[in-house]
Amino acid sequence: MVRVPMDQRPSSRPPAGPGDAYVIIAYLLSGMVFWGGAGWLLDRWLDTGFFTLIGLVIGAAASVYLVYVRYGRQ
Amino acid sequence: MRALALLSTEGEGFDPPDARDFELPPVFSIGGFEVTKVMLLVAFSVILIGGFFYLAARRGSLVPGRLQFAGEGAYSFVRNQLGRDIIGSADFQKFVPFLFTLFFFILVNNVFGIVPFIQFPTMSHIGFPASLALLSFLIYNIVGIRRHGFVNYFKEAMFPPGVPKPVYVILSPIELMTILFTRPLTLAMRLFANMFAGHLLLLVFILGGEYMLHSGGFAAILSPFAFGFGVVLTFFELLVQVLQAYIFTLLSALYIAGALAEEH
Repeated sequence: MVRVPMDQRPSSRPPAGPGDAYVIIAYLLSGMVFWGGAGWLLDRWLDTGFFTLIGLVIGAAASVYLVYVRYGRQ
Repeated sequence: MRALALLSTEGEGFDPPDARDFELPPVFSIGGFEVTKVMLLVAFSVILIGGFFYLAARRGSLVPGRLQFAGEGAYSFVRNQLGRDIIGSADFQKFVPFLFTLFFFILVNNVFGIVPFIQFPTMSHIGFPASLALLSFLIYNIVGIRRHGFVNYFKEAMFPPGVPKPVYVILSPIELMTILFTRPLTLAMRLFANMFAGHLLLLVFILGGEYMLHSGGFAAILSPFAFGFGVVLTFFELLVQVLQAYIFTLLSALYIAGALAEEH
């Protein structure tokens, strides 16, 4: 077993790699499902038809912004 | 494909494979408990992996033999590529057993899909990917809570720094939903859907080729193409199977790394 030097602590976040794409997809999905779902509930409650769409758009936009916050600024 | 479509309009028709082909009849039953091929395959995979690495590690000689070399190569691939490089050299060691087991368990069970006479990917039954994803989910959350404390862990996950305060109202639910819901769901679904679709694809071409062969005439002449495509897709499946095992393990490592190192 090779001993690894203990001085290499990871930075605040692991380096960008192939897995990041999948992590980002999970974010996009949560955003659209959560805010789209909230809009859908609002639609059912108020008997309207457009909050689902607004929710989906807001969720997608917020997810993209979140990905930028987490991954874009370094 | 065109030939297949043509065929379905004549004769008794081709019965295309579907989800029912994944419900295998029990092989035998012990006291009313039915044991299926899938369960046997999972048990076999455990014996196979355990046996291989036991034999590979039994005589740890300084100049490794062929078996030991293969075992060490496999081990250090997971240890270095998925453990050290992702989680970081400070913390990765205690996660290596988990990642290592996860990778080879998924890999062997996936590759069962194209091994002659076995030819069934166990991960195409949602229960197996789901429980592995649950395990991953529990590990990265527990590890994060232990490192940061319950409140801090969720605070750090839900409130990324450098965002105007009102925006958190929109962003924080997304973050919470991601770590508690979307991550395990996508982990399980990705593996399951890839294995399910891959097996179905192979069934379509192999069974379709067989049907065309028996239906005679023009279709029989074309059937070698269906078989040929089946063979090509089998190699393609091998790629997908290895890749999916790698991605599942890679993402588990990434999630653990994220849970450990979110101090800013």
